[in-house]
Amino acid sequence: MLRAAGKRLLGAGLGYRASPDAVVTAGAARGYHERVVDHYNNPRNVGSFDKNDPTVGTGLVGAPACGDVMKLQIKVDKETGKIVDACFKTFGCGSAIASSSVATEWVKGKQMEDVVSIKNTEIAKHLSLPPVKLHCSMLAEDAIKAAVRDYEAKKANVNGSKEASVGTAEKAANA
Amino acid sequence: MAWWRAMCRRRLSAATVSILRRDLRSCPHLPHGIGFSPPPSRVFSGFVPLSGGHRFAGGLRRIRHLCPFFHSRPWDGSPYSTVSGNGEASACWNCGKPAPPRGPFLSCEACRAVQPVDSSLDYFQIFGLEQRYDMRDENLEGKYKEWQKKLHPDLVHSKSEKEKSHAAEQSARVIDAYRTLSQPLSRALYLLQLAGIHVDEEKIVMDPELLAEMMEIREAVEETNGHKELMKIQCQIQKKLEDWSNIFQEAFNKREFDSAIVATQRMRYYERAVEEIVKKL
Repeated sequence: MLRAAGKRLLGAGLGYRASPDAVVTAGAARGYHERVVDHYNNPRNVGSFDKNDPTVGTGLVGAPACGDVMKLQIKVDKETGKIVDACFKTFGCGSAIASSSVATEWVKGKQMEDVVSIKNTEIAKHLSLPPVKLHCSMLAEDAIKAAVRDYEAKKANVNGSKEASVGTAEKAANA
Repeated sequence: MAWWRAMCRRRLSAATVSILRRDLRSCPHLPHGIGFSPPPSRVFSGFVPLSGGHRFAGGLRRIRHLCPFFHSRPWDGSPYSTVSGNGEASACWNCGKPAPPRGPFLSCEACRAVQPVDSSLDYFQIFGLEQRYDMRDENLEGKYKEWQKKLHPDLVHSKSEKEKSHAAEQSARVIDAYRTLSQPLSRALYLLQLAGIHVDEEKIVMDPELLAEMMEIREAVEETNGHKELMKIQCQIQKKLEDWSNIFQEAFNKREFDSAIVATQRMRYYERAVEEIVKKL
């Protein structure tokens, strides 16, 4: 068994170019998919909105495996519930940056209820992400959902406090 | 009559030789240095050739005394055992000397042959350390270099294929062990693994406090360009790493594994930030 393992080791070392695994490795070594490179070199929508702005929802997510951080922000028209602008800031690998860049492109102009159904598999397919980078697209999907949740929570707070202030005003008026 | 006796002896000799051959092969504890002198690269090939009837009886008696198959005989006063503390049979495959009763058996003291990898040995055992997180006084690097002096593949380039493959695997394992134990985060994760705790690395982190802090740090690193300023930030992060490293140690010792895992996540983020600073410097 050890002899076989030894031969495999030697075989892997000597026959690197010939073995089928090498073809896959060479493919990956050719680099990221061109869309990923494009998003990395020309990222769309990099930036930051004021997170205290009531029309802004901020999604902040992280991947424990690689220590990546991804922030995705949406600006929502409160009348229509449509996302009018989006931006992102990501610290991580090329695939993570590209995934969040794609996410900001896709959420612009859509309704909030629609964007929560954007799936990581769609992002991964668009960028031809290899299996080892699938978690980057997952991060982007979760960032979108977190941004929407944050916006909704803010809206609920604002409404709650509005109702409370209306209540106090009424009380004051009746007093 | 004499002819008949000689024939018997020869037949007995042949039969006993074949039995002894079988026994010697199955017996891992051939005492070394009794006049066997097996050539180092072959196993059990050099048992005493029983030639000549007149030496037969004496020869057999000598072998009977020496081969533990016939009866147990302590060697060096220590009891024979086919099992070391690590649960695997241990005697040198090359010269048959038994493994030391304690400690990792990676290479034979007597003939210096590199032994096959014993994967029941964990990384701490390879360096003779307790399974502990605190490594301050352990001189890990020194122990690592000592092992490589015995196991490095360059030392066996003229030996057999078997020994070369042992050396390649054994030295790769020692390198892995050293790398894992020398860094705090990987050591922490390895300890969790040994304790049977599975850390789910796929789970997305949502802790807003940690993420906001990391965002700030990473943005600061990106915007800062001065060497001094970067070193300052690095210092601050190293301090946080140390703090969380201590938190991990406490949590792990109390077996509070959830807190321990949270600590490792923090450590990962801080280490990542340090990596980015180092890249910039």
